[in-house]
Amino acid sequence: MKQIEYVNCFSCGKKQLSKDEVALNKKMIGREIKQFYCLKCFAEYFDVTTEELLIKIQEFKEQGCALF
Amino acid sequence: MHCFESGDTLIYADNAATTKISDNALKQMLPFLQKQYGNPSSQYSLGVKAKRAIEEARQRVSMALGALPSEIIFTSGGSESNSWVLSSVTNGHVITSSIEHHSVLNACHALEHKGIEVTYLPVDSKGRVSLDRLKEAIRSETKLVSIMLANNEIGTIQPIAKIGEYLHERNILFHTDAVQAVGHIPVHVKQLSVDFLTASSHKFNGAKGTGILYKRNGVLLPPLIFGGAQEEGTRAGTENVAGIVAAGYAINESVANMTAMADKLLVMIQKTISGIRSKIPNFIVNGDENNRLPGIVNIVFDGVAGDSLMHLLDLKGICVSTSSACVSGKDQPSHVLMALGLTEQQAKSAIRISYGRYNNLDEVETIVANICHAYDKIIAAKKY
Repeated sequence: MKQIEYVNCFSCGKKQLSKDEVALNKKMIGREIKQFYCLKCFAEYFDVTTEELLIKIQEFKEQGCALF
Repeated sequence: MHCFESGDTLIYADNAATTKISDNALKQMLPFLQKQYGNPSSQYSLGVKAKRAIEEARQRVSMALGALPSEIIFTSGGSESNSWVLSSVTNGHVITSSIEHHSVLNACHALEHKGIEVTYLPVDSKGRVSLDRLKEAIRSETKLVSIMLANNEIGTIQPIAKIGEYLHERNILFHTDAVQAVGHIPVHVKQLSVDFLTASSHKFNGAKGTGILYKRNGVLLPPLIFGGAQEEGTRAGTENVAGIVAAGYAINESVANMTAMADKLLVMIQKTISGIRSKIPNFIVNGDENNRLPGIVNIVFDGVAGDSLMHLLDLKGICVSTSSACVSGKDQPSHVLMALGLTEQQAKSAIRISYGRYNNLDEVETIVANICHAYDKIIAAKKY
C-alpha cells in the first residue's frame, strides 16, 4: 500500500495511514472528512471485518474508483 | 457478511436493476440449452420443436400485453428495442422526456448528430411529463414521440394512455419504454395507443438477454440487424430460444400474480418508509406517491452520500442501488433526480430500494434497521 504522509488514525493514533485507508474513509463516510480511521478501527466502528473491507477496496479498484 | 460472499444471507432489494429468474422459467428454459438445442431455422424435427417453443412464447407474451402474436418481436434486451425504434427515424423531429433511460437518451443524441432535432420534455417535481407541454412541443415534422411508461429510478408512472390517444389522432408514431412496468402493473398496448413498446424479460423474473419489442401491425420498422429471415425478416440472428421460452413463462406468472404482488410490495414500501421515518427525521421520498410502481422507493438522506450508504449496506449483505455514478472518484448526480429539481447534493444522497417477488417483511425490517444504523454511524463519524 502506498503511504500518505501525516495522516494518522484519529481513534488509535496509528501513524501514516495508507492511501487505501484514507480512500476507504472518503468513500464510505464522505469526501469532505478531515479525520480518518485506520482499517482496524474502521472495521470496529462499522462492525465489519478487515477482510471484508479489503475485498471492498479491491472491488473499488476494479471499478476504477480514482480515490484508491 | 459481504454481499458477494454469501448467497444465504443476501438480501436483494434492487429488483429494478434485475430480478432472480423464477423456478418455473428456469425449468422451462433449461431443456433448450441442452436436450432441445436445435436451431429454430432448421427444417428437421429438432429445429421445428425449437421454432414451436418460440411461437408458444410469442403467444404468451402477446396475450400478456394485449397484442397479436405477429406484433411481438424478440430482441436481445430493452436497450436493443429502444435503440431500434429511435434509430429508425431518418428526418424530422423527435420528442422524448428528460428522465428516459440512457438507451433512449443516447439514441436521441445519436439522432442529433445526424441533424435530427430532438426535444427533451421537462418533468415536474414528482417526475411527471405534462401532456400540455407535449402538445406545445409537437411540430408538423414530428415523426416520433418516446416517453417511458414508468421511471426506473423513482417509479413514477406517466400518462401514456392520454398521450397515446392524442398522438394517435395526429398520426404521430408513439413509443414507450415499458421495461420497468411490464409484469408489475397492467400493460395493454391497445389501451395505451402505442405503436411501439419495449420490455425486458430479466425485469420480470425471466432471463437476461431477452428483450421484447411490440410493433403495431402496419407500422414500418426497417431492420436494425441484417442477416437471415428470423422474426419474420424483421430481426436477423439465431434466436435466444431458451431466453425466449423463459420470457413466455415469466410474463405469464407475473401477470397472473400481479394484483397480489402489487399489494404485497406496497405494504413493504410503506413499512420501509414508516420504519425509516421513526428513526431518521430528515429524508425525502422522490417520485409520485399516488402513481408509482408498487415496489420502488427512492429516498434522499440529508447529509449522507448515497453511495456511502449503499456500500455500507453491501457490507451487511444488503443490495440496494444509488442513483449516482462514480466516475473518476467523483460521483455524478442522476439526470433523473436533477430533472426533478433536486440540488446536486440531494441527488447524490439518494438510494433506491426496489422490492420484488422474493422479498419479505422480515427483510424489510433488516433493511430499515441497517439503513438507520449506517446513517447514524456516518453522521457521527462526520462530526469528528
